[in-house]
Amino acid sequence: MPTAAARQAKRVPRGFERRELNVNGADVVLFVGGSGEPLVFLHGAGTASGFHFSASWAGKYTVYLPYHPGFGESPDSAAIATIDDYVLHYLELFDRLRLDSVRLVGLSIGGWIAATLATQNSHRLKKLALVGPAGLRVPDHPTLDIFRLKPEEVPAHLVHDLGVLAPYAPDPRGPDFLEFLVNDYHEMSSYGKLAWTRPYDPDLAKWLHRISVPTLLLYGDKDRVTPAQQAETWAGLIPNATVRIVKDAGHLVLDEKPEAPQAVLEFLS
Amino acid sequence: MTWQDDLQFYSMHFMPYVHLPPDQQQYDSLWVDFSNKHYDPQKGYELYQRYFREMVLADQLGYDGLVVNEHHNTMYSMMPVCTAAAAALIPVTTHAKICVFGVPVTFVMPNRLAEEYAMLDVMSGGRLEIAFPLGTGMEYWSNSVVNPSTARAKFRESVDIMIQAWTEDGPTSYDGEFYNYRYLNVWPRPFQRPYPRCYVVGTGSPETIAFAAERGWGYASVFVPIAQQVKTFDRLRETMPKYGHEMTPDKAMANTIVYVAETNEAAEREVIDHIKYYFTIAARTTPRFLNPPGYISLEQFRIRAGAANKMHGGFDWDEMTKNWRVAVGTPERVAEKIAGWCEEANSSRVICHHHIGDMPHWKVVKNMTIFAEEVIPRLRPQAKRAERPGSNTLRTAGAT
Repeated sequence: MPTAAARQAKRVPRGFERRELNVNGADVVLFVGGSGEPLVFLHGAGTASGFHFSASWAGKYTVYLPYHPGFGESPDSAAIATIDDYVLHYLELFDRLRLDSVRLVGLSIGGWIAATLATQNSHRLKKLALVGPAGLRVPDHPTLDIFRLKPEEVPAHLVHDLGVLAPYAPDPRGPDFLEFLVNDYHEMSSYGKLAWTRPYDPDLAKWLHRISVPTLLLYGDKDRVTPAQQAETWAGLIPNATVRIVKDAGHLVLDEKPEAPQAVLEFLS
Repeated sequence: MTWQDDLQFYSMHFMPYVHLPPDQQQYDSLWVDFSNKHYDPQKGYELYQRYFREMVLADQLGYDGLVVNEHHNTMYSMMPVCTAAAAALIPVTTHAKICVFGVPVTFVMPNRLAEEYAMLDVMSGGRLEIAFPLGTGMEYWSNSVVNPSTARAKFRESVDIMIQAWTEDGPTSYDGEFYNYRYLNVWPRPFQRPYPRCYVVGTGSPETIAFAAERGWGYASVFVPIAQQVKTFDRLRETMPKYGHEMTPDKAMANTIVYVAETNEAAEREVIDHIKYYFTIAARTTPRFLNPPGYISLEQFRIRAGAANKMHGGFDWDEMTKNWRVAVGTPERVAEKIAGWCEEANSSRVICHHHIGDMPHWKVVKNMTIFAEEVIPRLRPQAKRAERPGSNTLRTAGAT
């Protein structure tokens, strides 16, 4: 087994500190790095490829990288089973860490949580960046039902360039393989609570007009999970939205192209 | 009370669809996403005709119970609605208990299932027995409007609702996590009071054992290795008294594959390909389908992911006859093996799979008949047998 330090180095940029918090009964692990006004990043359904894209953000902001309860190093919380539960959990986390005027960045289901939070609590935010967000029903360009994929089909649906995931691919004969499978089953089980029936909230479109902060919609043009064409629907519903499409990148656009986290940084500044 | 005092034999049928395409080997699962374009209703009709004849024969031969169960999106079983199969059996049988083992209650409304079972019990004059399965992982992919992560909690609540509907005069109301009933008042009520005999079906997971122990119900183990079945019953013997119940031999259902012929060699020759078909073809599926997200705890997942997948796709005959409840051979040999298992598990309920895999009709008839006439009398003392209702043919056979 690799050391805790080695595991952390694989996941987050150098200089980030690992913290454990109890947020009204929910045990969470988060990484904190950099300095400045707060930037919170909400991850997607899988965390195996880490958070290295956030390095440049830490040069300007205090970056918070929490694991959602039920994902990565954060255990399940009996109280948390729906998107609204996650929204309230993050409001409690903001309270706990005394965060206001938050720059909130959400990828995939993290984007779903972030957008829902913004419909109810834009006043807690400074700006919002949604990266390949899940959560919206777009019948002509539907979100991929990831549960229909065989395990071996998943990587090619996440990235345009498979080489990006190579450092995180498990070795089936390695000592960590069983733990990789267990973590994957854990995260898929937590994601399944939210999206087994459908990977969106049929009511979200009714309330996106309430998002009152400047919002960025960022996609890879080859996104096979949340197709980039969904950007138009989001932007049509959110009053102050900017769309940015990055060429030759998939759903994990932040990992694939340095210009993607750079675009987020520029937008948030 | 020992296992010998009230030994009973149930005959179970999966009613598989066996006309598979020649390239079936290329499909890694014959469940969930194996296309129904491969199903020919004309051939299905002929199979139903034949399979129901086999179950009727089991009744005529004096078997104590006829067992049907339910699976979805698969050639493994043509009974996605097993209560329909039970209803078809009632008017064409006279003695055997009709055992519906059973509908995964998470996929239906509990009041509706309470009604269906009550109907079957009244229609059969009280011949119904019921087992409650959670449903295999595969069923949750096939019925994906139900979330596997809440399946166990929903299962418990649904059973509570059914028991309330059967035991309290209606109308009552129910206020739960998943269901709210304003007027719970099922018509008809069950024929048997307070309600038909119930079992839990399972592989021996801690969750299903606890569930059976709390209610004092029997446990119908699915086809898993002997050691696992014995361990399950031992655990029930320990835990049931904590809930004020006693684990008796009639609550331990031993699940067996049997085949009887004139010689051990003939029996093995006649049956081995069908058993192999069952394990390598009918039961073949993938780890993904076995364990949908949230269906099992991380502890259980760790155990299962670490173990080889023997049941669903693998086959080793020597291992199987040693560690699994597979009894193949002459009546003497089969009787001896079953007696040993019943003794070891203190079990007086034996579920026999007489039809297995793609077995042809003549072998099923042969197997079922020799078993009834030559194996059962060896296991059931003459005096005890005569007291039992519903075994006319066996008594006749014993007298000739």
